Amino acid sequence: MKVSTRWLQAFFDAPLPDAEALADGLTFHAFEIESVATHGDDRVLDVKVTPNRGHDCLSHRGIAKELSAICDVPIAHDPFTEHAFPHTDAISVALDPVLGKRYMAGYVRGITVGPSPQWLKERLEAIGQRSINNVVDITNFVMFTTGQPMHAFDAHKLRLQEEKYALGVRRAYAGEEISALDGKTYALTAQMPVIIDAHTDTAIGIAGVKGGSAAAIDDHTTDIILESAQFNPVLVRKTAQALKLRTDASQRFEQELSPELCGVAMQYAIEHLLRLAGGVLEGVVDAYPEPQPPARVSLSVPELQQYVPTFGPQDIRTAFTKLGFSFTEAGDVFTVLVPKERLDLTLPADLIEEVVRIIGYDHVPSDPLPSFPHAPEIHPRFYWNEMIRSFLLEHGCSEVYNSVFSNEGDVVVLNKVDGKKPYLRRSLAQGLMEALEKNVRNKELLALPQVRLFEIGTVWQGETEQIHMGIAVEPMKKASTAEEILSALAAYLGVSLSHTTKGTVVEVDLTPVYANLTAPAAYPPASKLSVRYAPFSKYPFIVRDIALWVPESTAADTIEALLREHAGTLCVSVRLFDAFTKEGRTSYAFRLIFQSFDRTLLDTEANEIMESLATLLHNQGFEIR
Amino acid sequence: MQDIPGHLHPISSLIRHANEIFFAMGFTFVDGPLIENEWYNFDALNVPKDHPSRDMQDTFFIKDHEGEVLRTHTSGLQIHYMTEQIKQGILPPYRVIAPGKCFRNEATDMTHEAEFFQIEGLAVGEDITLAHLKGTFTTFFGHLFDSNVDIRFRPSFFPFTEPSLEVDMRLTGSSAPEKLRDRWIEVGGAGMVHPRVLENCGLDAKRYRGYAFGPGLDRIAMLMWGIDDVRLMHSADLRFINQF
Repeated sequence: MKVSTRWLQAFFDAPLPDAEALADGLTFHAFEIESVATHGDDRVLDVKVTPNRGHDCLSHRGIAKELSAICDVPIAHDPFTEHAFPHTDAISVALDPVLGKRYMAGYVRGITVGPSPQWLKERLEAIGQRSINNVVDITNFVMFTTGQPMHAFDAHKLRLQEEKYALGVRRAYAGEEISALDGKTYALTAQMPVIIDAHTDTAIGIAGVKGGSAAAIDDHTTDIILESAQFNPVLVRKTAQALKLRTDASQRFEQELSPELCGVAMQYAIEHLLRLAGGVLEGVVDAYPEPQPPARVSLSVPELQQYVPTFGPQDIRTAFTKLGFSFTEAGDVFTVLVPKERLDLTLPADLIEEVVRIIGYDHVPSDPLPSFPHAPEIHPRFYWNEMIRSFLLEHGCSEVYNSVFSNEGDVVVLNKVDGKKPYLRRSLAQGLMEALEKNVRNKELLALPQVRLFEIGTVWQGETEQIHMGIAVEPMKKASTAEEILSALAAYLGVSLSHTTKGTVVEVDLTPVYANLTAPAAYPPASKLSVRYAPFSKYPFIVRDIALWVPESTAADTIEALLREHAGTLCVSVRLFDAFTKEGRTSYAFRLIFQSFDRTLLDTEANEIMESLATLLHNQGFEIR
Repeated sequence: MQDIPGHLHPISSLIRHANEIFFAMGFTFVDGPLIENEWYNFDALNVPKDHPSRDMQDTFFIKDHEGEVLRTHTSGLQIHYMTEQIKQGILPPYRVIAPGKCFRNEATDMTHEAEFFQIEGLAVGEDITLAHLKGTFTTFFGHLFDSNVDIRFRPSFFPFTEPSLEVDMRLTGSSAPEKLRDRWIEVGGAGMVHPRVLENCGLDAKRYRGYAFGPGLDRIAMLMWGIDDVRLMHSADLRFINQF
């Protein structure tokens, strides 16, 4: 959520620290900060409010409360104040308690719709909102201040019957449609809660999601009905998802808001409305069948110390005081009267988090784990997979991981984001064959006499998930085959491995094999981790050979060093691949590989380098063959 | 047979080392199915249906198998393990690690993969504290990077831990790789197991506490070796693999 620091400052008399310090404070005591940006003379924090704090912190007031605790600065102007409204008989409200816990309607007459004052425009624009008019801006301002979404209806666009307006909340009828404030028409389904003009039984808003255009505020509006309500979070969430209409309001309602917020938001909205748009408050109707009871949660000092042994009662006192909690102490038990908007605080563990994060995680010591009373178990599947890996590595096979997604299979996933390969593979063969082909093309670069791969991975056949092992070996004369390596593995494990063969790949379902392997006693030690890795070029490479006669006394290393020194940076490999001695002379053949990091190399470039190398060797007295 | 040995995939290599380090601290390796029932992947982990916390993870649902998903994290293995122990009448202390493949239904790029690896860790007992979590991370990353390491916690949120944390490490001293030395690096999420998670497995949350963690192995590999593209993990490209 975007948070304006000027907006925040309005809650405090004392000046707040600068935006960077606020960001730091939030980072280590409350929320991750996505960014700190500048908007005119305002600084704007993008705060990643976690889902457990959507109840209270998708609001400037919530963030101000956090900062008050973190920076130890008291809040001087809290919009959450005591309030009492005159009642009006001009509106009736019918609320199904399943659809929402509270519906307040405030009736204000004689207002003037017009542009918002500069300060209000600036606040909204700083957090990426567009200013529309004073009435709409006030409802948004109240939402971003308190976290409670508001809505305003033009009273004259509703049916007046026996000098009364009638509002209601009901589920939409099948096939019902509504034209919304965004200019679109939405087809509603029977689960979706809507706000209605009960005199005409027509929908004037999608509850908690979007207002309808039928009773929209316009330039001529004079009498309005302000809505401040609590809606069922699950229904709002499902409605917004089904309509693909996620709004600032729905995002807040789906977190579940305390119905107690309705009153403070109504109070705050009316104050601003009367000041900025004129008018007179006729009164408020409040459908609130079951007021939220006060909640208390206790935390004892020993409970806290089970989490952080070095913390004590003073830490609890300090944290609760900074957070502005009303609490009592009896012996070593602290009982908090939970702030009404903090629906996240229900368990002692929740209070422990409050204490530790406010005091600071840097105060948590680092202790080694106590010794474990018994030896950990050896996991047979993992152990045998490790043994198979080690065996195959020794036999020249490198381990690859392929994606489990495929163009065919027995199991298929829904809604794959990229729309490609939605099936889960039935076997490893296809992936390994493709991998083999790809790597054989790079064989020279890899300097391998034969490309050999293996994979141990999950496949799905019918309804069952299986662990398979596949070996893929480049077909070559006078060289090992995948079958041969597999038989050697079977002999090593001392079990038979029934396999399938597809092209260059042999594949074994290991699932039944593990049962035939005896339980191991200990894991083999892991060898040291390699530390070197260098990014490689994605561009094609060029291979060139050079052969020469040298006196028998000339070492291959000498020639190789010469070649390396003069081949230039495009040469990525120099390798002796043939040597023989005849009649007092030695013949060496070297293979050079050329490749660029940023482009496809031309044959002519490699040829030029080879020619210059040939000239160099010739000038040193060697005969090029 | 050729005598040039093959190369181990870097993730396998990390899992092998992680297992060795954790085994020495008393942790047993466990694994589990990649297709999970929503109970294990979400509900038992205190992630209620129709709650915004489910949005934290983009989930692959299985067609024609209502309630089954490709696991979005290894955390479901906490539930499998604890439930299984209780069934056998074995009470804590428990210590397990569960490295394995997880899935997120998201577009892939250099830092995001639909298939990735996590290492889940769980320690439950009458005496497990947040301080032990810090100590465990210190030991693990110190050994893994063969370096001195500082560990720092930041507040976070996961439905299955309370408190929830993001963990940062800072490698110091001459044995630390220069690129990583003396700076804070995020290494993964952790926290104290939520009492409801323990209760969902049949444990008395008043008597037992535990910590859990789930850093991403791809990220650790990328840090350790300076790998710039996570997609290389599933590239099956020996130009990559054979460097390890």
